[in-house]
Amino acid sequence: MSTGTVSPQHPAVPLRHRLNIDAMTSAQLDAYRAAIAASMKISDERGYGHQAGIHGLPLPISCEIAHGRPTFLPWHRAYLYFFELTLRAHGADVTLPWWDWTADRRIPNAYARVRVGGKKNPLHSAKVAAAALAQGKRSGDVKAPNTVRFPGQPGSPPLPTAAQVEHVLTLGDFLDFTAQLEQLHNNVHVWVGGDRGHMSDIPFAAFDPIFWAHHAMIDRIWRLWQLRHPQKGVPATLLDEALAPFQMTVRQTLDVAALGYDYAVRAAHTNVTNH
Amino acid sequence: MQRYVSDPIENPAAGQPPFTRADLVFYGVDHSGPSFEARVYLNLPDADISTGHDDPAYAGSFTVFGHAGCAGDEGHCEVPPEPRDPFDRRPPHGLTPQTRTVIVTDALRRTSSPDLVVTVVAVRPGADGPVAADVLHFDGFRLLTFS
Repeated sequence: MSTGTVSPQHPAVPLRHRLNIDAMTSAQLDAYRAAIAASMKISDERGYGHQAGIHGLPLPISCEIAHGRPTFLPWHRAYLYFFELTLRAHGADVTLPWWDWTADRRIPNAYARVRVGGKKNPLHSAKVAAAALAQGKRSGDVKAPNTVRFPGQPGSPPLPTAAQVEHVLTLGDFLDFTAQLEQLHNNVHVWVGGDRGHMSDIPFAAFDPIFWAHHAMIDRIWRLWQLRHPQKGVPATLLDEALAPFQMTVRQTLDVAALGYDYAVRAAHTNVTNH
Repeated sequence: MQRYVSDPIENPAAGQPPFTRADLVFYGVDHSGPSFEARVYLNLPDADISTGHDDPAYAGSFTVFGHAGCAGDEGHCEVPPEPRDPFDRRPPHGLTPQTRTVIVTDALRRTSSPDLVVTVVAVRPGADGPVAADVLHFDGFRLLTFS
């Protein structure tokens, strides 16, 4: 679904569009890879390691209101928004891609390739913060120093199907919708990570670069639900909840156009240089 | 526990007008340990990790995205008792047990028996096959039907 909507605050400024990872052009994918690779070289709060650690380890685990709660979708929308902003330092129009696991029922090629262009593919694996590894070891959750995946191991929950996504999109109550969508989300985490992969557990999941594409898909489904149920939404009692550690409330996450983005499958942009 | 088998409960749909939706709601689900899938079966008390999603008694599942243990100091992962101090504005503890709803409409429609036995099997993935694990903990469940 494409909407071509505009920002309510800046209607003359084009929104950025998050694209299907399997439909991105080589140039778009290269730009995203370059931004992720550059982010991974930064050790302060602007860098990949810090951003990934917000979700889980190292302590504090900041996603405490983000799972099994009605703030699951708003919290992760804020998380993706602020992470995407850090990537913009390395590419002005970089956006997070989304992985449609209802159609591409394996690790997408962009994430599965170990090397690209003779160099390490930053979407294949990421270094885990040393403090996170040490704290995980202390809790008995010993993880490899670089993220790994064991997709589709026996005993994994199945990847969600298009029919399941369509079903959750029909649910007219937000609390019902978010609870059922979170279940599909959980299935993907465990399907990707298997018994020892980083995606399987909350403390390490966000270190895996595929985390962001998975959550962009979840955020996209919420966007689709919002389009389908324009008269319904988050209960009023939740709207002014703060989404710590982000300086944003639930209400401020509701309008993706106000956050400067939307979802599309593909995008091509041309600037007119001669008037 | 690795699996849970309920005592027989009354089938709220037996002999009643058709329903549009049925939910099994699990309360007090623990999520402090490793991740796992909890597969739910109706009237199959012998279900175990070898019983798949394609068994006719399979009703649905929920997956726990787990915290995989406690990385903090002593007391860090202890959920404070409720009710809390009325002036305590902090959000609930991160390990507060959760509620999970499994939509079992189709499975319940396939069952006409007056009693139901609900079996929940915890399954973890493994390189050599599904793994049973002592990770399933919840306080109770409720079967609801809606017209």
